[in-house]
Amino acid sequence: MVNSENTKAQMRKGVLELCILSILSQGDAYPTEIIEKLKETKLVVVEGTLYPLLTRLKNTGLLTYRWEESTSGPPRKYYMLTEIGVTYLKELHLSWYELVDAVNKTINKQD
Amino acid sequence: MNKTVTINISGIIFHIEEDAFDKLSKYLSTIKGYFNKADGGNEIMSDIEARIAEMLQSKTSAVKQVVLMSDVDFVMDAMGKPEEFAGDASDNTGSSDRAESYDAYENGEPIKKRLYRDGDSKVLGGVCSGIGHYFGIDPVWLRIALLLMFFFAGTGLLLYIILWIAIPEAKTTTERLAMKGEKADINNISKAVKEEAEQLKKRMEKYGSEFKNMAARNAPRNSVEKIIDFVGDVLINIGRVLLKIIGVCMVIFGVIFFLGLFGSVFGMSFMTSNVEVQEWIDMVLMDGKDFYFGLFGISLFFGIPIMMIIYAGIKILFKLKYSNRWVNLSAGVLWLFGFVMCLYVGIKTGADFSKEAKVREKIEVKPYDTLILKLNQVPVNLSEVQASTDDHDYYDNEGLKINRHHQDDYMIGKHNGEKYLLGHAHLNIIKSQTDRIEMIIVKESKGNNKNIANERAKNIVYLTNQTDSVIAFDNLFRVGNADKFRAQDVTVILKLPVNKVVYLDKSLLGFIYDVENTTNTYDGDMINRRWMMTEYGLKCIDCDGLNNSYEEEHELPVPPSAPGAPTININDKGVIINEEGIHIDDKKDTKVTIDKHGVHIETDKNKK
Repeated sequence: MVNSENTKAQMRKGVLELCILSILSQGDAYPTEIIEKLKETKLVVVEGTLYPLLTRLKNTGLLTYRWEESTSGPPRKYYMLTEIGVTYLKELHLSWYELVDAVNKTINKQD
Repeated sequence: MNKTVTINISGIIFHIEEDAFDKLSKYLSTIKGYFNKADGGNEIMSDIEARIAEMLQSKTSAVKQVVLMSDVDFVMDAMGKPEEFAGDASDNTGSSDRAESYDAYENGEPIKKRLYRDGDSKVLGGVCSGIGHYFGIDPVWLRIALLLMFFFAGTGLLLYIILWIAIPEAKTTTERLAMKGEKADINNISKAVKEEAEQLKKRMEKYGSEFKNMAARNAPRNSVEKIIDFVGDVLINIGRVLLKIIGVCMVIFGVIFFLGLFGSVFGMSFMTSNVEVQEWIDMVLMDGKDFYFGLFGISLFFGIPIMMIIYAGIKILFKLKYSNRWVNLSAGVLWLFGFVMCLYVGIKTGADFSKEAKVREKIEVKPYDTLILKLNQVPVNLSEVQASTDDHDYYDNEGLKINRHHQDDYMIGKHNGEKYLLGHAHLNIIKSQTDRIEMIIVKESKGNNKNIANERAKNIVYLTNQTDSVIAFDNLFRVGNADKFRAQDVTVILKLPVNKVVYLDKSLLGFIYDVENTTNTYDGDMINRRWMMTEYGLKCIDCDGLNNSYEEEHELPVPPSAPGAPTININDKGVIINEEGIHIDDKKDTKVTIDKHGVHIETDKNKK
């Protein structure tokens, strides 16, 4: 049995990194904001996925963060792109469009 | 009405219902379990906790202050199942760390299987069910095995008691899980992880700075360090295996020693040679309470160390670090108790050896010129002899023990249910001061005082028997059990007047003991020959073949009634004529010998 859910999850996961970086390129955000934006586009099903990813991106030097006090809750961790992150994102953008083109062409030929 | 718990998530205080709290804390520790080994695990955790705090905050208000089960469910739905997103994290990092942690999870490593007693399904102490869990055996078989071993000198009982003491009971949930070694599901892991995290936290707090230093040092690992680590690991593993082998040996030898001790002390022997130890204890120790004191003392004195060996072996084998101070303490006290009892009985018994007494009995001997001395083998029926220290028994055709090499050995025999001690008597031949042949039986024994020793000596039974010129000596004397073994001994002294001749039969080998003679002939060479008493001691009459005594003993036996060569004895005048020549001894001061060396005349004056 082919599990389509699994394939979909794998696809989402592949582009999640790109999406997070893109969201952050529009302005600093803390995890809840990122999640809300991702949820709008139904890219994230479970929130838990985000945190390990953010930590890993931060550890590889693409992201950094600052603490901001919150009036209503715990202090918020605002993530932002580093310079490396910006260049990395540009590269990803390019390869993403190439990939979409290639995939579209392949799919359309099949049709 | 529900009880609430106050918790702190990311610095925000929540009141949460108890069951909701249980669920949430389980959830959190499960997540922690996944990220424990991943890089930045703590950071991920705090991010997640901050988010949870936010979500919970949105669910509470001034009106609804308490976090409910439904709120926790909402949080868990939003966050997702840990196995979903933790798997993602690991896929992305692609690091080996993740793979390890995942494997560990698969193998249920968080809870290691350990040996505990199962208090939930116990018959006595839960030992069998605990071991059953450990090895995956139905405890019924273990119970049957132990029960069978119980009839084997009570080994089963001993083992059970030792195991009961050595193995801790599974009291906490973690211990119960470890005992059953259940494959880790999320709940199990969360429990294990929680404890681990708590331990780590404590350690971190305690050794915070040291830990940092260590981490810093470990970070830049070079290959040499890795090799050293690898070698170290290998050595540690070899050490562990050796330790296990030692543990197995300790248990096995402990059980064997125990069986030996049990057999010795209680006479329920599985090794035939052990019967005798018990018989000897009975034979040496005094009757009544001293006997039981002695048995008890010996049991404790040797048994406690044996038990401790088995105990230590089991602890090594199952890596039981749990130690009970009372076990060691009471073992020490019991051992000391046994030691004191042994000492008491020992001293008391020893005192019974302190005084010695000798009793002399004169036995009439019908005078003959040549006395033939031989040994009467006391027929010792094999069924009577329960034990013997003699390894060199000979049996004749009728199945009797007929000869023994170790003449100093004592034996224990039984006759009509009465136990008695058998000892070897000895013979000495000396010159009589009178002209009568005398036989004196010296019976020796020891005791607490002279009277008792004397009484014991008198009680020794020893028989000789004369038929015409043949005197037969019993080889064994007999002591009743009531008298106990008190170094009893019997020596027969044959006083022979000058010029009387004795023929020492071959059977006397080992019975004659250090008999003085003019030629300093060794006891073993004195047998099978005729000896005449002279002023200076026994003198051999037919000792020419001494050098080839082997031949003479084995090929040319000379029966006393039909000697190989004619011998003429003229006793009154002290004249002996045989193939050697003529020998004249007037018993006073003159000796004349005519033989191949010529004529030799010896007088007292010459000698002086």
